[in-house]
Amino acid sequence: MTWTCDLVEARLSDYLEGLLQGPERAEFEAHANSCADCAPLVANVRSLVGEMHAMQVLETPPRLVYAILDKTLGPRETVTGWQGFLNAIRGLATPKFAYGAASVMATLFIVLGASGFSLRKAKLADLRPAAIYQTADRGAHRVFARSVKYVSDLRVVYEIQSRLRQDENNLQTTPEEMLPKSAPEKIPGQTDQQKPSQPRQQNRANEISRQLEMMATEMPMLGERSVR
Amino acid sequence: MEQDAQLVQQCLQGDGSAWEELVRRHSRRIFNICYRFTGNRTEAEDLSQDVFLRVYRTLGSYRSAHGGFATWATSVTRNLLIDHYRRTKRDRITDSLDDKMPVVENKESAGRRPDEQALLGELSMQVQSALTRLSPELREAVILRDLQQLDYAEIQTVLAVPEGTVKSRINRGRIELARILQQMGVRPA
Repeated sequence: MTWTCDLVEARLSDYLEGLLQGPERAEFEAHANSCADCAPLVANVRSLVGEMHAMQVLETPPRLVYAILDKTLGPRETVTGWQGFLNAIRGLATPKFAYGAASVMATLFIVLGASGFSLRKAKLADLRPAAIYQTADRGAHRVFARSVKYVSDLRVVYEIQSRLRQDENNLQTTPEEMLPKSAPEKIPGQTDQQKPSQPRQQNRANEISRQLEMMATEMPMLGERSVR
Repeated sequence: MEQDAQLVQQCLQGDGSAWEELVRRHSRRIFNICYRFTGNRTEAEDLSQDVFLRVYRTLGSYRSAHGGFATWATSVTRNLLIDHYRRTKRDRITDSLDDKMPVVENKESAGRRPDEQALLGELSMQVQSALTRLSPELREAVILRDLQQLDYAEIQTVLAVPEGTVKSRINRGRIELARILQQMGVRPA
């Protein structure tokens, strides 16, 4: 059989669906591959069929089923009163909705607590915007002051710790360094040309106590509790 | 298929829930056929409702021995789509005059809602637009074969034409569709 362009076109879908076998298929391909008109046509139709097979099935519009049922079975009965209310909220009985409701309630309690509203002694006056603002402002200042004091306390404690550590290190240094240096030989009747010597041997415990007292006087915000 | 026949029997005995089940099982497929044929979501919804109304009224004429309920419902859909096509032919003649003007942008895709555009890929959208330019005989054959994946025997039943005619329409429809896409400057990957 001589394969012409018309014949290739007429059997194109048979070829694409695998209905051409053996020599027929080989002859089809021989013509399609060598013909400048048929080659792009076969490629395009093949791609198009693939694309159509991959096209997604659309979802049914949500209202369609109810519209069909209304048209065929008639309008559904509308339930009113408590039964209607229960039917309406039945759809809300899902874990997702319960979680959302719990989150909203928790947020509400936090906001009310921050605004100074007490559920135990609930007063309408507490809900005035000015009262809420004053309470929130006072609360914010109190929190800020506490934060500043806490940071200062931390800083003092850190300084004390670092100085104590420093002193401990000094105590652990070599004994030679700790011993008082022997006084240079003095020539009778002559000064040694040195400044008056500093008291080198001191009680370390006394020195630490003195430093702590000094720090306490320097930093008035430091309470007695912190010094201890 | 047997379940469908059973549901039909229950419907005929006045069981409303059986009818609801039938509607839920087949509404998606019917809606898709209508949408692919018309290329318009609102029209497809209206036509789907009309299809089920006709199915409901003629349910007594369905015989399970002559084929599945799905094939029968598809036949009803096809007949209704052809009726709709003929009814709205005058509007399309006006449209086709507009089509002869130089095409700056694709009319169907321009009028499509953003959610529809998101739903369809860009290429799928072009294929959908090209489909609506096919003659109804070729369009229905291609939709049933390549989008609904029906076999030749089912399509033969739905269209009520010989198998040779079915094959020929599918083949011509595909080639015509590929040429329309080429004219639109679209080449499937």
